Amino acid sequence: MRHKKSSESGSSPGNRPPTDLENSSIKKTNSELLDRRTFMAGAASVLGMFAVSSCSWQEFIQNNFQRMTKEEIEQTVERLRKEYKEKYGKDFVVGTEGPLEATLFGYALDIQRCIGCRKCVYACVEENNQSRDPQIQYIRVLRFKDGDMDLEHSTIYYDPEEVPEDGYYYMPVQCQHCANAPCTKVCPVRATWTERDGIVVVDYNWCIGCRYCMAACPYMGRWFNFAEPVIPAESINTVTHYLGNRPRMKNVVEKCTFCIQRVRVGKYPACVEVCPVGARKFGNLLDPDSEISKIIRNKRVFRLKSELNTQPKFYYFFAT
Amino acid sequence: MKSKYLILLLTALGIMGYCFSLADKSALAQSQDAEALKEIQAPTSEKEFPVPLRPLPKTITPCRACHGPEKDFPVNFKRREDLLVHTNIRLNHGGIRLWCLDCHHPDNRNYLLPLSDGKVIEFEQSYLLCGKCHGTIYRDWRDGIHGKRTGSWNGVKNYYLCVTCHDPHNPKFKPMAPMPPPKKPWTPVEVQARH
Ligand code: HEC
Ligand code: HEC
Ligand code: HEC
Ligand code: HEC
Repeated sequence: MRHKKSSESGSSPGNRPPTDLENSSIKKTNSELLDRRTFMAGAASVLGMFAVSSCSWQEFIQNNFQRMTKEEIEQTVERLRKEYKEKYGKDFVVGTEGPLEATLFGYALDIQRCIGCRKCVYACVEENNQSRDPQIQYIRVLRFKDGDMDLEHSTIYYDPEEVPEDGYYYMPVQCQHCANAPCTKVCPVRATWTERDGIVVVDYNWCIGCRYCMAACPYMGRWFNFAEPVIPAESINTVTHYLGNRPRMKNVVEKCTFCIQRVRVGKYPACVEVCPVGARKFGNLLDPDSEISKIIRNKRVFRLKSELNTQPKFYYFFAT
Repeated sequence: MKSKYLILLLTALGIMGYCFSLADKSALAQSQDAEALKEIQAPTSEKEFPVPLRPLPKTITPCRACHGPEKDFPVNFKRREDLLVHTNIRLNHGGIRLWCLDCHHPDNRNYLLPLSDGKVIEFEQSYLLCGKCHGTIYRDWRDGIHGKRTGSWNGVKNYYLCVTCHDPHNPKFKPMAPMPPPKKPWTPVEVQARH
């Protein structure tokens, strides 16, 4: 909360007053650490939630992903697949692959090479089933004047005929997957946490939509579904992960997961694959021979807002 | 001094290549990619990477058809602007210092100029040629820092060749049209004005 900039609350789109339900649940969980399920179940019967809610009772009593048994996970995956099939008319894969042994993911971006073409932005949207309307894009590409490092002077709305433009440089920003992540600490219900391989994830079904995490993030790396996400059925990606790109619902927070559904099975994130200049690098920080380790060892690197001690695992580097 | 260094480098690359070939065999066999397999099974001092083969345009190969011993156009080392053939090529690389025959083998056009060990470079391995003049970048590329790899971060990678991104005759990276900017969110007017 310390990092919250005063302008942020003003600039977040459509400041919607929290609903009664959210309000009360936040207060309760903060003050008396009431078990969420008990509270929710109680609130539900009192408010007659079942009558107004679109969600099934199974969804309602579903546990936090971290505490689910294997059986519960299987049941949940089945339920979700059915739900998605109904909504999009397609068969989904909802993966639950866990972290790989001896793996800590890191990311590096060659800031001299990036030309600001935004191909990564759209590859990410498609891979990760981000809402097209309202628009959610995990990657923001900031444009700076040469020699200027002030974030306040940058813009994300540049739109020239061709990039790169003379006299500017570009800096894509997304979730920095901090080793000391402020966002996960402020979550009142522990719906967001850091996996053993270093990926910061959200259990969308556990998220209560309070957006504390968004306020705590100094990189604006989290996004809130103010409305029901809209994704055309023909462009939905059906290969998903429970903690990653499965379709989200209204009133939950989402974010970059390094494409958890890809990297846990050995693939590069979508943004790495699409980058036409090869500015984006990804790999295992614990492997001294990985691209990412070589970059950190041999190149000048920096991390965004390192003075906040968030310890991002997202490095920017200069190739020369 | 320089050749000693190169021999050392090549030996190291050879060993690397051998390791690569061991590691990659099984995965590639699965992919049934006979072409790539053939390449990897024959580790030579130069073929250390599972790089894609990049065929030259069929219309122009083989170069020997015109540059062969029978036809034998005189080799011309003089820099000149308008060639009678190869009109699609407008050399714009390294200013006036560079000419075709700094890269192409004058006596056998099917190959590029040899490395210092005397072995000619095949077109498919043009990255070795680039490495002769752009050593630092070449090393970065080999480490996966310059250029790009796709595939698997912990397994088989596909390398983008230098010539996939840079036309050797006009290597400056081409500008491109950006994708559309994000929609502006609803914000108070005074905040909007900043952008
Ligand atoms: C259709 C016949 C033909 C083919 C096929 C051909 N060339 Fe040529 N090439 C020529 C001629 C003729 C010239 C001389 C042009 C001039 O002097 O204006 C030439 C000139 C060149 C030169 C300039 C240096 C010099 O000696 O004049 C290079 C380099 C070259 N060719 C490379 C190649 C390569 C590499 C290939 C194969 C990929 C190839 N050529 C295929 C006909 C051909
Ligand atoms: C910097 C080194 C370099 C120089 C200088 C150079 N070439 Fe090439 N050339 C290459 C490489 C590398 C390839 C293979 C490209 C590929 O794999 O796509 C090539 C391919 C070719 C080809 C076959 C493919 C095509 O584009 O038609 C021709 C013909 C050719 N060069 C002619 C020339 C001529 C003529 C000149 C001088 C005007 C010249 N080159 C100068 C490196 C060079
Ligand atoms: C014989 C030496 C030589 C070889 C071989 C060579 N280059 Fe170059 N290259 C140069 C020189 C000289 C420059 C100009 C550098 C400068 O101006 O500082 C240059 C410049 C470049 C540039 C920068 C262009 C720009 O305008 O920004 C690129 C990219 C490049 N080379 C790529 C390649 C690639 C790819 C290959 C292999 C196909 C290659 N070079 C092979 C000598 C070479
Ligand atoms: C994924 C595409 C890609 C590949 C593969 C690639 N490059 Fe580049 N290279 C770039 C981009 C983008 C730039 C920045 C160019 C610019 O600003 O014009 C660049 C710049 C360069 C430069 C100019 C110096 C600099 O640092 O800006 C040289 C020289 C160069 N590359 C050589 C090579 C060589 C040699 C290889 C192969 C060993 C290679 N490149 C492979 C994309 C690539």
